[in-house]
Amino acid sequence: MSNTDRAPLLWLLAQAALVSAAWCFTDMETGPGAGVSTQPNGDRFKIEGRAIVPGIKTQDWVSAARVLVEGEEYVGFLRTDGSFAVNDVPSGSYVVEIITPNYRFEPVRVDITSKGKMRARLVNYIKPSEVIRQPYPLQIRASGPQSYFMKRETWGWTDFLMNPMVMMMVLPLLIIVLLPKVVNTNDPEMRKEIEQSMNMLSPNPELPDVSELVTKFFSGSKGSSKAGGSSKGTRPAAKRR
Amino acid sequence: MAKLILLCLNYIILRSAVEAVFEDQVGKFDWRQQYVGKVRFSSFDTHAQSSKKVLLATESNVFAALNTRTGDLFWRHVDKTGPEGNIDALLQHGQDAVLVVGNGRLLRSWEINVGGLNWEILLDSGSFQSACLVGQQDNVKHVAVLKKTAISLHYLSNGHQKWIENLPERQVTIETVDYQAVYSDGNGEVYAMGVVPHSHITVVVYSVEDGEIIKQVSVEAPWLSNIQTSCAVIGPGMLTCMDPATVSLYMLDLHLESEMTQIPLQALGLEVTPGFHPVLVSTQPNPAGQPLSEFFLQLGPEQYLLLQLNNGQIVTLRDFKPAMLASFATAGEKTVAAVMSPKNKTACSINLFNAETGRRLLDTTLIYTLDPNGGKPEKLYVQAFLKKDDSVGYRVMVQTEDHALAFLQQPGRVVWTREEALSDVVTMEMVDLPLTGTQAELEGEFGKKADGLMSMVMKRLSSQLILLQAWIAHLWKLFYDARKPRSQVKNEVTIENLSRDEFNLQKMMVMVTASGKLFGIDSKTGSILWKHYLDNVPSNAAFKLMVQRTTAHFPHPPQCTLLIKDKDTGLATLHVFNPIFGKKSHITPPALPQPILQSLLLPLMDQDYAKVLLLVDDQYKVSAFPSTKNVLQQLQEMASSIFFYLVDSSQGRLSGYRLRTASEPRSAQLDLSTELIWEVVIPTEVQKIVSIKGKRPNEHVHSQGRVMGDRSVLYKYLNPNLLAVVTESTDLHQERSFVGILLIDGVTGRIIHEAVQRKARGPVHVVHSENWVVYEYWSTKSRRNEFSVIELYEGMELYNSTVFSSLDRPHAPQVLQQSYIFPSSISTMEATLTEKGITSRHLLIGLPSGGILSLPKMFLDPRRPEIVTEQSREENLIPYAPELIIRTEWFINYNQTVSRVRGIYTAPSGLESTCLVVAYGLDIYQTRVYPSKQFDVLKDDYDYMLISSVLFALFFATMISKRLAEVKLLNRAWR
Repeated sequence: MSNTDRAPLLWLLAQAALVSAAWCFTDMETGPGAGVSTQPNGDRFKIEGRAIVPGIKTQDWVSAARVLVEGEEYVGFLRTDGSFAVNDVPSGSYVVEIITPNYRFEPVRVDITSKGKMRARLVNYIKPSEVIRQPYPLQIRASGPQSYFMKRETWGWTDFLMNPMVMMMVLPLLIIVLLPKVVNTNDPEMRKEIEQSMNMLSPNPELPDVSELVTKFFSGSKGSSKAGGSSKGTRPAAKRR
Repeated sequence: MAKLILLCLNYIILRSAVEAVFEDQVGKFDWRQQYVGKVRFSSFDTHAQSSKKVLLATESNVFAALNTRTGDLFWRHVDKTGPEGNIDALLQHGQDAVLVVGNGRLLRSWEINVGGLNWEILLDSGSFQSACLVGQQDNVKHVAVLKKTAISLHYLSNGHQKWIENLPERQVTIETVDYQAVYSDGNGEVYAMGVVPHSHITVVVYSVEDGEIIKQVSVEAPWLSNIQTSCAVIGPGMLTCMDPATVSLYMLDLHLESEMTQIPLQALGLEVTPGFHPVLVSTQPNPAGQPLSEFFLQLGPEQYLLLQLNNGQIVTLRDFKPAMLASFATAGEKTVAAVMSPKNKTACSINLFNAETGRRLLDTTLIYTLDPNGGKPEKLYVQAFLKKDDSVGYRVMVQTEDHALAFLQQPGRVVWTREEALSDVVTMEMVDLPLTGTQAELEGEFGKKADGLMSMVMKRLSSQLILLQAWIAHLWKLFYDARKPRSQVKNEVTIENLSRDEFNLQKMMVMVTASGKLFGIDSKTGSILWKHYLDNVPSNAAFKLMVQRTTAHFPHPPQCTLLIKDKDTGLATLHVFNPIFGKKSHITPPALPQPILQSLLLPLMDQDYAKVLLLVDDQYKVSAFPSTKNVLQQLQEMASSIFFYLVDSSQGRLSGYRLRTASEPRSAQLDLSTELIWEVVIPTEVQKIVSIKGKRPNEHVHSQGRVMGDRSVLYKYLNPNLLAVVTESTDLHQERSFVGILLIDGVTGRIIHEAVQRKARGPVHVVHSENWVVYEYWSTKSRRNEFSVIELYEGMELYNSTVFSSLDRPHAPQVLQQSYIFPSSISTMEATLTEKGITSRHLLIGLPSGGILSLPKMFLDPRRPEIVTEQSREENLIPYAPELIIRTEWFINYNQTVSRVRGIYTAPSGLESTCLVVAYGLDIYQTRVYPSKQFDVLKDDYDYMLISSVLFALFFATMISKRLAEVKLLNRAWR
C-alpha cells in the first residue's frame, strides 16, 4: 500500500528529469513536440510495419483488422501478408494500434520528425517523454487472444474440501472419530492416566461436555465415559512433557 | 436508517468491483447488427460461377463483401469518416477490387476472397475525375486514373505507377480544359476526354506503353458543359452526348478526327419529357473490349429506350414505357437488359431482354413488391448467370430511396433485405411494451372506481376466470409445442403477440435514422417490427424524439412525437405516431410557421395523460402541444415555475427564460410568451460553447449522501436544474489551448463552479448525472486522453432536506475534482441508469476499437485518497492511481465490436440491478448490464441441480440417521 502512495511522487521526479531530456530531442529535430497542428502543405509520411499473430494464418484474421493511428485520426489496413502502411501522416507523435476483435496487440508510439525521421517506442502515458526504443519499421506481435470472459465459478469437491471453514470443521471431527481407535483405551494404565488428567482438566464435572456428547454418538458400542476421556487424552500428554 | 441503506449500498458497491460477461452468456441477452451504409457502388463477383459475393462501396466510407445467399457480411472495411475516406470509384477485375479513395488521394486494391489488402499507393494530389481499367489483347493489366491536371497508369498487380503525364492544359483558346472522363477499349490507347464548357470537347489519346500522346483532337461543342452527366462511349469508340436544348444526340468517333454528327431525336420519332435531362447508359462488359453498341436512353422519369448504333445509324430496339429503372448485366458472352416497370400500385415487375435484339426473354419475370412503408426503388443491380441449358438466369438487388437493399430471385422471392438506413441512427428511445389483454383487464379492475360489493365480487371472479383461461391456454401451448420437433417451434415475435415480460426487460426500441426512416425494433431479438419512411425529410435535418405518453395509460395509446428541424432554415415539423405499431397518429400536430429555437417536454399532463410539449419560436412565442383548454389552464397556473434556457453558440450567449402568460383571462386563446431571467455571455473571441449537458429527467438518486469513515454523512448537492457547459478555446496552439467547464444553475443563471483545463483541447465528452460531472479531453502537453471528475457536495448538513429549490440555496456546494489518464481515445460516453438508482453507476465508454467499456464510477471518484487511511479503507475508496486501466473483461460486447459508435442509450428495466444498453453507430448492439451484479434475481447459472441434490441428500441423511439412532436406542435399552 505505502509503495503505491509514494509512487506518484517518484513519478513526478522522474518526469521532471525526463522532460529536459525530451526537450533535447525536440530542439534537435523540432519534431514530435509540434505534432498535431501542422501546416497544410507540410510533408506527409508513411508509417510502416508488420503485424504477426503467432500460429494463425494471416488470411484468417486480416479481414477484421485495422491499424488505428491516434484514435481514428488515420486509418490503415493490413495486407494479406500482415504488413501494413498508413499513408498520408504528417509529422508528429502518434500512438499506433492494431485493432482486431480477437487478438491483443500492444500499442506503439511512433515519432515522426518534420524531416521524416521515424522512431518507435513503448507507449507510456504516465511518462510520455520516456524513450524505450522499439524496432522501426514496426514489428507488432500479438500477445495472445483477447480475454473477454470471466470464468464461471464452478463447483467442485476439491474447492469445497479445501475451504478453510470446512477444514476447520472436518479435522477436529476426524480427530474425534479416529483417536479413540488409535489410543488403546483398554490398557488399564492408560485409562488411569486419562482419568487423572480428566479430573485435573475439568474442575466442574457437572458441566455437560460437548465433546463427550459427540463422541458418545460416534464411538458406537464402546463405553461413553471411556471415549470421552480418550478424546481429551492428547492434551494432558502434551502438558506432561 | 439512511445510514443503514448507505451501508447496504456500500456493500453493493463492494461487490460490483468486477463485472464481466461469462462465456456461456454469448448471444443470450445481446445481439448485434452490422451495416454498411447507403450503397454508392456495387459489383457482383462474377469471376467464378459459384461465387456468392457482392461488393459494396458505400457513402459511409465502407467497403464490404456480402453473401448473396444470406445477406450477411463476409468482411467489411471501415475507413475514416469524412472526405478523406470517401470512396470515389470501384473497379473490379477478377479477384481484385480497385478503389480510389479520398478524392483521388489513395489507390487501393483488395483481395476479395480473403478481404485483405493487396496494395495501397499514394497518388499525387489533385482532385479525382475518373478511373477505368485498361486492357490490352484481352488482358487487363492496368488501371488509369484521371485527375484534374494529370493522368496516370498503374499496374494492377502491385499498384506501381507505369507512367504519369500532365494533361495538356490549353489548346486553341486560352480557356482551361476540364478533363472529366477516361476511356479505354483494349487497343493500346487511353482516351482522356475533357471539355471547355460551352466551347469544345478535347480528346487526348495516350499510348498505354509509355504515356506518349498519340493524338489530340479538339471538336466544337458549344452546347456541352459536362461529359460525365450527358455523354457515354458506345460501340466502336463513339462518344455519344445528349444535348437537351436541341433535343438531339451528338456523336463523335474517337478514332477518327472528325466533326460531331448531330442526330435529332425527332428524326427517330422520340420525344423528351419537358424539363427532364435525358441520360445515356452504356455498358462495357469487358474492359479489354469495346462497349456494346446498344445503350439505354432515359427520356423521362418513367421512360427508357433501348437503342442500337448500327453503321452510324441509331435504331430503336425497344421502347419501355412506363419503366422505372433499367440496367445492363453480362453473363459469359451474353448481355441482357433488365427493366423494372410498374405493375400495379403495390408491385413492380422486372423483365429481362436480350440486349442485342431487344427481344423479351421468356420466363424471366420477377415480381418486386413495393413496401408501403418504404421508399421508391432507386437503383437496380442485376446479377446475371448462365444456367445449365445456356439460358440466362438472374437475381436482382434493388436499392430504394430509404437506403434499403432487397435481393430477389425469380419469381419474386425476397432472399434477404438489409435496412441500411440503420447505419445512421440519429436518436432513439425505448418504450415499454403494452400489457397483454389479460394483464390490462386486471389493471382495469383495480383502476376503476368501486360500484358496490356485489359487482366487485363479480368482477374479481371474472378476472380470475380470465387468468385461469390464459393459464390453461399457455399450458396447452407448452404441451403442443413440446410434441413438435424443436426446429419447428418458432418463437417469432410479431406485433400481435408483443407484451411486456415480468421484469420489463423487453422493450420497443424506436430508432430515428438520418434518412428519415423510423424503425421499431424488438429489444430482445433485434427484429424489426415496424418501419415507416418519412419521405419529405430535408437532408440536413435535426431530429428530437420525445415520448409524450407511455404505455402505462391504457386505453390511451402510447404516443411519440418526432420534431424534425431543417438546420438551415430552422423550420420544423412534427410527426406524431404510436411507438408500438409505428402508425401515424390521427392527432394533427400544430403547424409551425416560425423557426423553432427550443423544445421542451414538461412533466405536466393533459387529461389524456399526454405530456405537454412546449415549442419556442424565434419570436420567443411559445406554443403548446397538445393545446387543449385543460393544458392551457395548467400552464397558466404553472407558468411562473417553468424555466428554460437557450444557447446561441455563435454569439456565445446562454440565456434563461421563464414562461409568461398574457393576462387575457376572457379570451379562449391563451397567449404564451417568455421573459428573460438571466444571461451569461461567454466571449466568442476566447472560447466557444461546445456542448451543454443537463441531467436526464428520468434519473433517480436513491441516497442523499455518502457515509464517511467516521460515520458522518457527506450530503450530495443534487440540483436537478444544473447544467454543465463545456467550452473550448478558439486559440488552438497547443501551449495556449484550454477546455473550460462551467456549472450553471438553469433557473437562476448562477455559476456554481468553473474549472479550466489548461493545455487541453477537445473533442470533449461529458456525462452529467447525480452530483457529478465526468468529462474527457485531450491533453496537448502530455499527448494523452485524460478524464476529469467533478463532484459536488452540500457538506455535512443538508440545507433543506425535503425539497430542492434553486432559488433558495444560500450555500455554495463543496467541489471536489480529480483527473486520471485514460489510455485510449473515446468515441462516446454514457452512464448506466437503473429504475431506483440504488445500483452503483458505471460509465459506458465507446472506444474507436469498437469495444464498449463498462468502467465503474468508483474509479472516477475525487475522494480516492493518495494516502490510505483507516477511514478511507472503511469507505472502500480505491487508492489513487494516475492511470485508469482498460481491462478487456470489462468490455460488455466482448468481440462483437461496434464500429464508429456514435451514441449509447441506456434505459432502466423493471429489475433494479439491470440496465438496458443500446450502442449505435455503423452497427447496432443491444445488451443488458448489471453494474452491481444481479443482486435481485437468481443468476442465470444458478445451480438448481446442486441445491436440490443437497436438499435431498440432507433429507435422506436425516431419515437414515434417525433410523440408526432408533436402532441404537433400542440396543442400549436391551443391554
